[in-house]
Amino acid sequence: MTKTLQQKSTRYFLIWLPLVLLLGTGLFYILMSAHAHHMEEEQLELKQENIWNAIIANREDRAVHITGEYDLAKGSPVPRDLLDIQRDTVIYYPVSKDWRPFKLLTEQHVLSGQPYQLTTYISSREITHLIIKVFIADVFVFILLLAAVVVINGISSGLLWQPFYATLKAVQTYDINQNQSLPLDGQTGTREFDQLNEVISHLIGHVNQAYSNQKQFTENASHELQTPLAIIRSKLDLLIDSSTLTEETAGLLADITEANDRLSQLNKNLLLLTKIDNHQFTDQSSVGVSEAIEKLLSHYQEHHGGDSPIIRKSIQPGIGIKANASLIDILLSNLLNNAFVHNIPNGYIDVRLANWSLIIENTGHSIEGGTEWLFERFKKGREESKTTGLGLSLVQRICRIYHFDLQYDYGENIHRITVTFPQI
Amino acid sequence: MKILVIEDERSLLASIVQYFTQEKFICDTAGSYHEGIHKIEGFQYDCIILDINLPGGSGLQLLKYLRQNKSRDGVIIISARDSLDDKIDGLDLGADDYLTKPFHLSELNARVRALIRRKYAAGANVLQVGPLKADLLSRTIIYSEQPISLSKNEYDLLLFLMTNKNRVVSRQAIAEHIHDGPSDQIPSFDFVYSHIKNVKKKLKEKGCQEIIQSVYGLGYKLFS
Repeated sequence: MTKTLQQKSTRYFLIWLPLVLLLGTGLFYILMSAHAHHMEEEQLELKQENIWNAIIANREDRAVHITGEYDLAKGSPVPRDLLDIQRDTVIYYPVSKDWRPFKLLTEQHVLSGQPYQLTTYISSREITHLIIKVFIADVFVFILLLAAVVVINGISSGLLWQPFYATLKAVQTYDINQNQSLPLDGQTGTREFDQLNEVISHLIGHVNQAYSNQKQFTENASHELQTPLAIIRSKLDLLIDSSTLTEETAGLLADITEANDRLSQLNKNLLLLTKIDNHQFTDQSSVGVSEAIEKLLSHYQEHHGGDSPIIRKSIQPGIGIKANASLIDILLSNLLNNAFVHNIPNGYIDVRLANWSLIIENTGHSIEGGTEWLFERFKKGREESKTTGLGLSLVQRICRIYHFDLQYDYGENIHRITVTFPQI
Repeated sequence: MKILVIEDERSLLASIVQYFTQEKFICDTAGSYHEGIHKIEGFQYDCIILDINLPGGSGLQLLKYLRQNKSRDGVIIISARDSLDDKIDGLDLGADDYLTKPFHLSELNARVRALIRRKYAAGANVLQVGPLKADLLSRTIIYSEQPISLSKNEYDLLLFLMTNKNRVVSRQAIAEHIHDGPSDQIPSFDFVYSHIKNVKKKLKEKGCQEIIQSVYGLGYKLFS
């Protein structure tokens, strides 16, 4: 699954930052407790010194024992090897009925020739509490830091990448068919994005140029082709009228004429496609679809006899749309033409126009394989069919321009094309 | 009848000239804009067949010049451009007809003759070809004083053949002529055959025999 840039960077932060913070917290704890214990030791030594000095200075009026502060003992009750070493102990406090942790230090002193042992105490509970409290505060600070980093990263990357998203959006709306230029900000304030926009603008300029060159080429080529086609046709007209015509040459001429006509038709349709792509059919008027279909159908009926398909129609009168009249004419005649050309002997064509949708159903040969290619250029149903392969492509192009919904259904040698017009 | 053909494509020009010479027209030619101007300044023509893309200038400019300066010479534009706008532009400038390339010479002939009839022979609305007489106003064909009842398409077909009398007219040319819409929307030319069959039958009923002949399936010829 793909994620957004922001999600990704947040994810990296969420994976690595807690690890770093955890490590930092551990290190902090170790260092802090080491320092705290060192301070405790110093304080205990200072207390030993201070109390002994007080005892020396105030010999008469001295207490021998103060709980949690010191003990003064004559002689040497504490073994030698425990002297001058800081030890842990607990002292019972009867009032609060609990044992409290202390550190103690016993040193050997001599006063007036008499040996004394002074043991000083320092409570280690406060230090432990301090360590815990500072550590907890530290954890809170770290969590806050983590949250802040994630939030700041989210906001800042949103801001940082803003030009990128703007570019992305602009590129998404780009449609080569519109031949539009893409205005991209060249002064985003970030060098990489400036470069990106410059490169994209450059690229799109090239693409537009190439595309319009290609369209221009097709249009020019089609125009240029008209002249030789006209020459061939005029020569053919003269040839069939010549007195030297034999049955054999007549057969050849028939084939040449047919091929030449197909070529003309192909060229015309190609030119038409290019013109549609070039938006040369911009003027719109209201076009009566119902009337146009009736007219085309009566045309076809006039020109067909014998085994031509039976035409069934049910056309709701008065359906009109706003579009280019020529394009609608091309659309409808190509659809009907398609239904005629690809029909089978004794088949039928059913034309229904109602509720803003035109359904043209006709009998026809089965289609091998899928039908996705049907609207592509130069795709033909059958090899031998003498069509240009551009008719349905034109239909699709026109439907796309006016946002008509175009659907094709096929079943049991029946083909159905549905065009749905947007309601006015 | 004198016509001027202004077309820079020599080969096409030669075809047109050959066809119209056989039709007993006097043909003059011009291969460029300036040659065309020179010809129309010096002579009077019944009809001018004018290409749009010419070396030295546009056929439309030439048409404008022609209309500004004097003549009411009939003008038929022949052009590779087939959009409605191009046609409207041409007709607005005073062209009488507009034919898109590629075209059939028989069609051009029919257009030229129709134009000449309209422009110069007002009142002469009857076309006599052999035993057949076409009344262009009432759109009827008369054979030995009896009108033949024809459908619209049959009338158009027979008139087209009469206009191009004694020549082979191809099936495609007939199809395009009687089909109102653009030729590329004709699914097949088979209908020409059935129309011809009907026309022949109707002529035969009136006693007119074998006037239309099929030429190896390529086209048809009407003998005068």
